Amino acid sequence: MLETLFSTAGALAMAGWLALLASPLAPRLSDRIAAVAVPLILSVAYAGLVLANWSTAEGGFDSLDNVALLFQSRELLLAGWIHYLAFDLFVGAWEVRTARAEKIRFFLVVPCLILTFLFGPAGLLVFQALRLVGSFPRSGSRAN
Amino acid sequence: MKSIDYTPAPANLLPRPLPRRVDPLQLVTDSPLYARLGILLFLAMAPTFAAAWLDDRMLHGVSVWQKPLKFEFALGVYLLTLAFFARYVPVSVRESRANRFFEIIVALAVIGEIVWIGAAAYLGIASHFNTQEPFFVLLYPVMGLMATILTSATAVQAYAIRNNRQTRLPPALKVGIVLGLALTLPLTLISAGYMSSIGSHWVGGVASDAGGLNLMGWVRDGGDLRVAHFFATHAMHSVPAFALVSAYVFGANNRRPVMMFAVVYVVFVAGVFLQALAGRPFI
Repeated sequence: MLETLFSTAGALAMAGWLALLASPLAPRLSDRIAAVAVPLILSVAYAGLVLANWSTAEGGFDSLDNVALLFQSRELLLAGWIHYLAFDLFVGAWEVRTARAEKIRFFLVVPCLILTFLFGPAGLLVFQALRLVGSFPRSGSRAN
Repeated sequence: MKSIDYTPAPANLLPRPLPRRVDPLQLVTDSPLYARLGILLFLAMAPTFAAAWLDDRMLHGVSVWQKPLKFEFALGVYLLTLAFFARYVPVSVRESRANRFFEIIVALAVIGEIVWIGAAAYLGIASHFNTQEPFFVLLYPVMGLMATILTSATAVQAYAIRNNRQTRLPPALKVGIVLGLALTLPLTLISAGYMSSIGSHWVGGVASDAGGLNLMGWVRDGGDLRVAHFFATHAMHSVPAFALVSAYVFGANNRRPVMMFAVVYVVFVAGVFLQALAGRPFI
């Protein structure tokens, strides 16, 4: 059961990331898949796992030891993993939307997406750095 | 063409052709790619610092992340300097297809160097002079080629600025910038190329960065060829900086002191190079 949930969630997330990579072809469809459909389905699974297992779980959020204890439950470990999948994908979709709105070229977004997919916050860091340096000439410098 | 008055400015003012207020954003409009990549390299120092703080692994007695930090800073300064001098390159040259292509090649070379040095730190191994890992041994000549390409940007700028009759720079400053940029490539090629050919930057002494000079890490008990590489590559800063001082002291029209300084500087770089070869520390 848990294994099936794990591989289904992984396949869903992967579909979302592929939709993001194809977003220049179909921006609205890809956004609906990667920002709405997949994260919401994953969120339902997450909520179910937490509702079913939180009351019997040991541990908590107040110390690293307690967090480790929490993740000793395979159900909550899976919930934590689905949390990653859902939120990383949501952030990836936000990066694609933001880049499109700010006219950041897609080939620069692809490495950010790959990093966000693999190492979530590192991808966000790189994307925001690119956004920052990309915004400089538009913030009012005179053209030569 | 409007003539420019080079009569000495009042002591509290910069020579007239220099803007009294430097617009930092002009770097980005003049050379969008170099300026942005330079700032990105500075930003990359933040996670690298975090890694240095959290990672206990050492190489040659210092954190494995120290070298990526140094290169991010150095290449950031390098790119921002090129972006600064880009204002003296004619717009037609700057925006030509050939120049844009060249800037992309230089940027890719910079990214290549940083990825290579960062990857070595990540693996906890040496990037330069690595004779253990077959892949890194194979990669080394490629990285040497990339380093040459990225340094050649100074020579390209020197040429373009020398031929630009409308830099609005006083002669002393113009010759300083052109000479500084022009000397950077040959001096770096000799100092860094020799270092690369002997496969180490240490000559005698303990092969470690641990007891090195503050900040720079140059050894105190033997020769260190990195000293010559450092001063060679900083010709692009030293000579223009001297020219700026010289414009006040000896006059903005007087090119001779700047040219003499350039000669002295070459002798100085040769001196620290020979000093290192003799196995003597810089200080």
